[in-house]
Amino acid sequence: MTPATRRIDVAQAASDLRSRTLADIPRSLDRLIYLASMRDYNTGLYYHDGLASRFTQEVACEALADCHREAFSQLVGCSLRELVSQMEGYIDSTHTSPRDFVAAWKKLEPYRVAVPVETDPLTAQLLFSSFKIALAILEARLPSILPQPSA
Amino acid sequence: MISLIFFLSVGVLLFSSLFLLARRNTRPEGSSSALVEARQALRTLQAGLLPLELVNRVFAEQDWEYVRSETPRCIHELFLDERKGIALLWLKQVRTQIRSLQRFHRGAARHYARLNPRTEVELALSFAALMGACKVLQVLVYVAGPYAAPRMVGLVANVANRACKTSEQSLGFLDAARLGALARPSDAAIL
Repeated sequence: MTPATRRIDVAQAASDLRSRTLADIPRSLDRLIYLASMRDYNTGLYYHDGLASRFTQEVACEALADCHREAFSQLVGCSLRELVSQMEGYIDSTHTSPRDFVAAWKKLEPYRVAVPVETDPLTAQLLFSSFKIALAILEARLPSILPQPSA
Repeated sequence: MISLIFFLSVGVLLFSSLFLLARRNTRPEGSSSALVEARQALRTLQAGLLPLELVNRVFAEQDWEYVRSETPRCIHELFLDERKGIALLWLKQVRTQIRSLQRFHRGAARHYARLNPRTEVELALSFAALMGACKVLQVLVYVAGPYAAPRMVGLVANVANRACKTSEQSLGFLDAARLGALARPSDAAIL
Protein backbone atom coordinates (compact mmCIF):
# COMPACT_ATOMS: atom_id res chain seq x y z
CA MET A 1 0.00 0.00 0.00
CA THR A 2 1.51 3.36 -1.02
CA PRO A 3 1.57 6.21 1.51
CA ALA A 4 -0.97 8.15 -0.59
CA THR A 5 -3.40 5.20 -0.70
CA ARG A 6 -2.92 4.69 3.01
CA ARG A 7 -3.71 8.35 3.72
CA ILE A 8 -6.90 8.08 1.66
CA ASP A 9 -7.88 4.91 3.53
CA VAL A 10 -7.23 6.57 6.90
CA ALA A 11 -9.32 9.60 5.88
CA GLN A 12 -12.16 7.28 4.77
CA ALA A 13 -11.95 5.27 7.99
CA ALA A 14 -11.99 8.46 10.08
CA SER A 15 -14.99 9.73 8.14
CA ASP A 16 -16.72 6.37 8.64
CA LEU A 17 -16.00 6.55 12.38
CA ARG A 18 -17.38 10.10 12.58
CA SER A 19 -20.56 9.26 10.68
CA ARG A 20 -21.33 6.01 12.53
CA THR A 21 -19.95 5.70 16.06
CA LEU A 22 -19.08 9.31 16.87
CA ALA A 23 -22.33 10.70 15.47
CA ASP A 24 -24.04 9.36 18.59
CA ILE A 25 -21.52 11.09 20.86
CA PRO A 26 -22.07 14.80 20.36
CA ARG A 27 -19.93 16.21 23.20
CA SER A 28 -16.16 16.43 22.65
CA LEU A 29 -15.55 15.41 26.29
CA ASP A 30 -17.47 12.16 25.78
CA ARG A 31 -15.64 11.58 22.49
CA LEU A 32 -12.28 12.14 24.14
CA ILE A 33 -13.03 9.64 26.87
CA TYR A 34 -14.52 7.12 24.46
CA LEU A 35 -11.57 7.32 22.05
CA ALA A 36 -9.03 7.17 24.89
CA SER A 37 -10.74 3.98 26.05
CA MET A 38 -10.12 2.46 22.59
CA ARG A 39 -6.37 2.73 23.24
CA ASP A 40 -4.33 -0.09 24.73
CA TYR A 41 -2.34 1.48 27.57
CA ASN A 42 0.51 -0.98 27.10
CA THR A 43 1.12 -0.34 23.44
CA GLY A 44 -0.53 3.00 22.76
CA LEU A 45 -2.37 1.41 19.80
CA TYR A 46 -6.08 1.90 19.19
CA TYR A 47 -8.46 -0.99 18.51
CA HIS A 48 -11.92 -0.98 16.98
CA ASP A 49 -13.12 -4.32 15.63
CA GLY A 50 -15.82 -2.93 13.34
CA LEU A 51 -13.52 -0.40 11.75
CA ALA A 52 -10.68 -2.91 11.45
CA SER A 53 -12.98 -5.36 9.64
CA ARG A 54 -13.98 -2.71 7.09
CA PHE A 55 -10.42 -1.41 6.62
CA THR A 56 -7.25 -2.85 8.20
CA GLN A 57 -6.11 -2.80 11.82
CA GLU A 58 -3.35 -0.25 11.01
CA VAL A 59 -5.73 2.04 9.14
CA ALA A 60 -8.34 1.78 11.91
CA CYS A 61 -5.68 2.59 14.51
CA GLU A 62 -4.57 5.72 12.64
CA ALA A 63 -8.16 6.84 12.05
CA LEU A 64 -8.96 6.46 15.76
CA ALA A 65 -5.80 8.40 16.67
CA ASP A 66 -6.82 11.20 14.26
CA CYS A 67 -10.31 11.42 15.77
CA HIS A 68 -8.82 11.35 19.28
CA ARG A 69 -6.55 14.31 18.46
CA GLU A 70 -9.53 16.10 16.91
CA ALA A 71 -11.68 15.61 20.05
CA PHE A 72 -8.80 16.76 22.24
CA SER A 73 -8.22 19.91 20.25
CA GLN A 74 -11.98 20.68 20.24
CA LEU A 75 -12.08 20.32 24.02
CA VAL A 76 -9.01 22.51 24.51
CA GLY A 77 -10.71 25.17 22.38
CA CYS A 78 -13.79 25.20 24.63
CA SER A 79 -14.38 28.05 27.03
CA LEU A 80 -14.52 27.25 30.74
CA ARG A 81 -18.30 27.74 30.70
CA GLU A 82 -18.60 25.22 27.88
CA LEU A 83 -16.31 22.72 29.67
CA VAL A 84 -18.40 22.95 32.85
CA SER A 85 -21.56 22.43 30.81
CA GLN A 86 -20.02 19.43 29.01
CA MET A 87 -19.02 17.92 32.34
CA GLU A 88 -22.56 18.38 33.68
CA GLY A 89 -23.89 16.60 30.60
CA TYR A 90 -21.32 13.84 30.98
CA ILE A 91 -22.23 13.31 34.65
CA ASP A 92 -25.90 13.03 33.65
CA SER A 93 -25.07 10.46 30.98
CA THR A 94 -23.09 8.28 33.41
CA HIS A 95 -26.01 8.12 35.90
CA THR A 96 -23.52 8.64 38.72
CA SER A 97 -24.29 10.93 41.63
CA PRO A 98 -22.59 14.28 40.95
CA ARG A 99 -21.02 14.19 44.41
CA ASP A 100 -19.42 10.78 43.81
CA PHE A 101 -18.34 11.80 40.32
CA VAL A 102 -16.64 15.00 41.48
CA ALA A 103 -14.96 13.19 44.37
CA ALA A 104 -13.66 10.42 42.10
CA TRP A 105 -12.44 12.76 39.38
CA LYS A 106 -10.71 15.03 41.90
CA LYS A 107 -8.96 12.06 43.44
CA LEU A 108 -8.13 9.95 40.37
CA GLU A 109 -7.77 12.70 37.75
CA PRO A 110 -8.74 10.26 34.96
CA TYR A 111 -8.51 13.02 32.34
CA ARG A 112 -4.71 12.80 32.62
CA VAL A 113 -4.67 9.48 30.79
CA ALA A 114 -7.19 10.60 28.19
CA VAL A 115 -4.86 12.85 26.19
CA PRO A 116 -3.49 11.67 22.84
CA VAL A 117 0.19 10.79 22.63
CA GLU A 118 2.57 13.49 21.43
CA THR A 119 0.30 16.19 22.79
CA ASP A 120 2.12 19.43 23.42
CA PRO A 121 2.77 19.49 27.23
CA LEU A 122 1.53 23.07 27.64
CA THR A 123 -1.76 22.31 25.89
CA ALA A 124 -2.25 19.21 28.03
CA GLN A 125 -1.43 21.24 31.15
CA LEU A 126 -3.96 23.89 30.12
CA LEU A 127 -6.70 21.26 29.78
CA PHE A 128 -5.81 19.61 33.11
CA SER A 129 -5.92 23.00 34.78
CA SER A 130 -9.33 23.75 33.21
CA PHE A 131 -10.63 20.37 34.43
CA LYS A 132 -9.42 21.19 37.94
CA ILE A 133 -11.25 24.54 37.91
CA ALA A 134 -14.38 23.01 36.35
CA LEU A 135 -14.45 20.32 39.05
CA ALA A 136 -14.13 22.99 41.75
CA ILE A 137 -17.04 24.89 40.17
CA LEU A 138 -19.19 21.73 40.02
CA GLU A 139 -18.29 20.91 43.61
CA ALA A 140 -19.27 24.39 44.75
CA ARG A 141 -22.64 23.96 43.03
CA LEU A 142 -23.42 20.71 44.83
CA PRO A 143 -26.10 21.13 47.48
CA SER A 144 -24.38 21.18 50.83
CA ILE A 145 -25.07 18.24 53.12
CA LEU A 146 -26.17 19.66 56.40
CA PRO A 147 -25.57 17.53 59.50
CA GLN A 148 -28.79 15.99 60.82
CA PRO A 149 -29.93 17.73 63.98
CA SER A 150 -29.52 15.40 66.95
CA ALA A 151 -32.71 14.43 68.77
CA MET B 1 53.68 24.69 55.69
CA ILE B 2 53.10 27.82 53.59
CA SER B 3 54.52 26.13 50.49
CA LEU B 4 52.24 23.12 51.10
CA ILE B 5 49.18 25.38 51.23
CA PHE B 6 50.40 27.19 48.10
CA PHE B 7 50.85 23.97 46.10
CA LEU B 8 47.54 22.57 47.34
CA SER B 9 45.77 25.78 46.21
CA VAL B 10 47.45 25.58 42.80
CA GLY B 11 46.36 21.94 42.54
CA VAL B 12 42.75 22.78 43.43
CA LEU B 13 42.79 25.64 40.93
CA LEU B 14 44.13 23.41 38.14
CA PHE B 15 41.65 20.67 38.96
CA SER B 16 38.75 23.14 38.92
CA SER B 17 39.89 24.53 35.56
CA LEU B 18 40.11 21.03 34.11
CA PHE B 19 36.65 20.22 35.48
CA LEU B 20 35.15 23.37 33.97
CA LEU B 21 36.84 22.73 30.62
CA ALA B 22 35.55 19.16 30.57
CA ARG B 23 32.01 20.37 31.27
CA ARG B 24 32.04 22.90 28.42
CA ASN B 25 29.69 22.23 25.52
CA THR B 26 31.99 20.93 22.82
CA ARG B 27 29.32 20.64 20.12
CA PRO B 28 30.49 22.59 17.07
CA GLU B 29 28.31 25.53 16.10
CA GLY B 30 26.53 24.94 12.82
CA SER B 31 26.53 21.19 13.32
CA SER B 32 23.59 19.07 12.19
CA SER B 33 22.40 18.56 15.77
CA ALA B 34 22.28 22.33 16.26
CA LEU B 35 20.23 22.61 13.08
CA VAL B 36 17.87 19.83 14.18
CA GLU B 37 17.49 21.58 17.55
CA ALA B 38 16.71 24.88 15.81
CA ARG B 39 14.13 23.23 13.57
CA GLN B 40 12.58 21.56 16.61
CA ALA B 41 12.41 24.93 18.41
CA LEU B 42 10.79 26.47 15.34
CA ARG B 43 8.24 23.65 15.15
CA THR B 44 7.45 23.87 18.88
CA LEU B 45 6.91 27.62 18.60
CA GLN B 46 4.84 27.54 15.43
CA ALA B 47 2.72 24.46 16.13
CA GLY B 48 2.69 24.28 19.91
CA LEU B 49 3.10 27.68 21.55
CA LEU B 50 2.18 30.47 19.17
CA PRO B 51 -1.08 29.39 17.47
CA LEU B 52 -3.59 32.17 18.10
CA GLU B 53 -6.21 29.72 19.45
CA LEU B 54 -3.88 28.55 22.21
CA VAL B 55 -2.72 32.06 23.16
CA ASN B 56 -6.34 33.25 23.25
CA ARG B 57 -7.32 30.28 25.41
CA VAL B 58 -4.49 30.75 27.91
CA PHE B 59 -5.26 34.46 28.32
CA ALA B 60 -9.05 34.24 27.71
CA GLU B 61 -10.70 37.04 29.66
CA GLN B 62 -14.14 35.54 28.98
CA ASP B 63 -13.22 32.65 31.34
CA TRP B 64 -12.39 35.16 34.07
CA GLU B 65 -15.66 37.02 33.41
CA TYR B 66 -17.54 33.73 33.74
CA VAL B 67 -15.76 32.76 36.96
CA ARG B 68 -16.20 36.25 38.45
CA SER B 69 -19.88 36.51 37.66
CA GLU B 70 -21.14 32.95 38.12
CA THR B 71 -19.04 31.19 40.71
CA PRO B 72 -18.45 31.72 44.43
CA ARG B 73 -15.47 33.69 45.69
CA CYS B 74 -13.46 30.61 46.68
CA ILE B 75 -13.18 29.65 42.99
CA HIS B 76 -11.79 33.06 41.95
CA GLU B 77 -8.47 32.55 43.69
CA LEU B 78 -8.09 29.00 42.36
CA PHE B 79 -8.84 30.18 38.83
CA LEU B 80 -6.36 33.06 38.94
CA ASP B 81 -3.64 30.84 40.43
CA GLU B 82 -4.16 28.14 37.80
CA ARG B 83 -4.21 30.56 34.87
CA LYS B 84 -1.21 32.42 36.24
CA GLY B 85 0.72 29.14 36.38
CA ILE B 86 -0.20 28.31 32.78
CA ALA B 87 0.63 31.84 31.57
CA LEU B 88 4.04 31.72 33.26
CA LEU B 89 4.69 28.26 31.80
CA TRP B 90 3.78 29.56 28.33
CA LEU B 91 6.14 32.52 28.70
CA LYS B 92 8.93 30.31 30.02
CA GLN B 93 8.59 27.90 27.11
CA VAL B 94 8.43 30.70 24.54
CA ARG B 95 11.62 32.17 26.03
CA THR B 96 13.38 28.78 26.01
CA GLN B 97 12.55 28.12 22.36
CA ILE B 98 13.42 31.66 21.29
CA ARG B 99 16.75 31.34 23.11
CA SER B 100 17.41 28.08 21.26
CA LEU B 101 16.70 29.71 17.89
CA GLN B 102 18.76 32.76 18.86
CA ARG B 103 21.71 30.53 19.75
CA PHE B 104 21.47 28.72 16.44
CA HIS B 105 21.31 31.90 14.37
CA ARG B 106 24.21 33.42 16.30
CA GLY B 107 26.33 30.38 15.50
CA ALA B 108 24.95 29.82 12.00
CA ALA B 109 25.63 33.35 10.82
CA ARG B 110 29.35 32.62 11.10
CA HIS B 111 29.14 29.31 9.23
CA TYR B 112 26.75 29.66 6.32
CA ALA B 113 27.74 32.09 3.64
CA ARG B 114 24.23 32.06 2.14
CA LEU B 115 22.55 33.55 5.19
CA ASN B 116 21.57 37.15 4.54
CA PRO B 117 23.44 39.41 7.03
CA ARG B 118 20.63 41.99 7.03
CA THR B 119 18.01 39.35 7.83
CA GLU B 120 20.24 37.93 10.54
CA VAL B 121 20.64 41.39 12.14
CA GLU B 122 16.86 41.91 12.01
CA LEU B 123 16.34 38.50 13.57
CA ALA B 124 18.90 39.20 16.28
CA LEU B 125 17.05 42.42 17.15
CA SER B 126 13.66 40.65 17.13
CA PHE B 127 14.97 37.87 19.36
CA ALA B 128 16.51 40.35 21.80
CA ALA B 129 13.27 42.36 21.92
CA LEU B 130 11.23 39.19 22.43
CA MET B 131 13.42 37.95 25.24
CA GLY B 132 13.09 41.33 26.96
CA ALA B 133 9.34 41.50 26.41
CA CYS B 134 8.84 37.95 27.71
CA LYS B 135 10.83 38.79 30.84
CA VAL B 136 8.76 41.95 31.45
CA LEU B 137 5.56 39.95 30.88
CA GLN B 138 6.73 37.25 33.28
CA VAL B 139 7.20 39.88 35.99
CA LEU B 140 3.83 41.51 35.20
CA VAL B 141 1.96 38.18 35.21
CA TYR B 142 3.72 37.09 38.39
CA VAL B 143 2.89 40.33 40.20
CA ALA B 144 -0.50 41.31 38.75
CA GLY B 145 -1.91 38.05 37.37
CA PRO B 146 -2.60 36.60 33.91
CA TYR B 147 -4.70 39.52 32.70
CA ALA B 148 -2.18 42.23 33.54
CA ALA B 149 -1.09 43.08 29.99
CA PRO B 150 -3.31 41.51 27.30
CA ARG B 151 -2.04 43.82 24.55
CA MET B 152 1.55 42.93 25.33
CA VAL B 153 0.71 39.22 25.11
CA GLY B 154 -0.75 39.77 21.63
CA LEU B 155 2.28 41.81 20.63
CA VAL B 156 4.73 39.16 21.85
CA ALA B 157 2.82 36.42 19.99
CA ASN B 158 2.74 38.50 16.77
CA VAL B 159 6.42 39.45 16.88
CA ALA B 160 7.39 35.87 17.74
CA ASN B 161 5.31 34.54 14.83
CA ARG B 162 6.96 37.02 12.45
CA ALA B 163 10.43 36.14 13.75
CA CYS B 164 9.67 32.44 13.29
CA LYS B 165 8.60 33.02 9.68
CA THR B 166 11.78 34.98 8.95
CA SER B 167 13.87 32.31 10.65
CA GLU B 168 12.10 29.61 8.66
CA GLN B 169 12.80 31.41 5.37
CA SER B 170 16.36 32.06 6.43
CA LEU B 171 16.92 28.37 7.17
CA GLY B 172 14.92 27.25 4.15
CA PHE B 173 17.93 26.38 2.05
CA LEU B 174 19.16 23.94 4.68
CA ASP B 175 16.91 21.15 3.51
CA ALA B 176 16.84 17.69 4.95
CA ALA B 177 19.08 16.32 2.22
CA ARG B 178 21.91 18.45 3.45
CA LEU B 179 21.66 17.45 7.08
CA GLY B 180 24.11 14.61 6.57
CA ALA B 181 26.68 16.87 4.99
CA LEU B 182 26.31 19.37 7.80
CA ALA B 183 27.43 16.80 10.32
CA ARG B 184 30.95 17.71 9.26
CA PRO B 185 31.57 21.36 10.22
CA SER B 186 34.12 21.79 7.43
CA ASP B 187 31.39 21.07 4.85
CA ALA B 188 29.04 23.53 6.47
CA ALA B 189 31.25 26.46 5.60
CA ILE B 190 30.87 25.71 1.89
CA LEU B 191 27.10 26.24 1.91
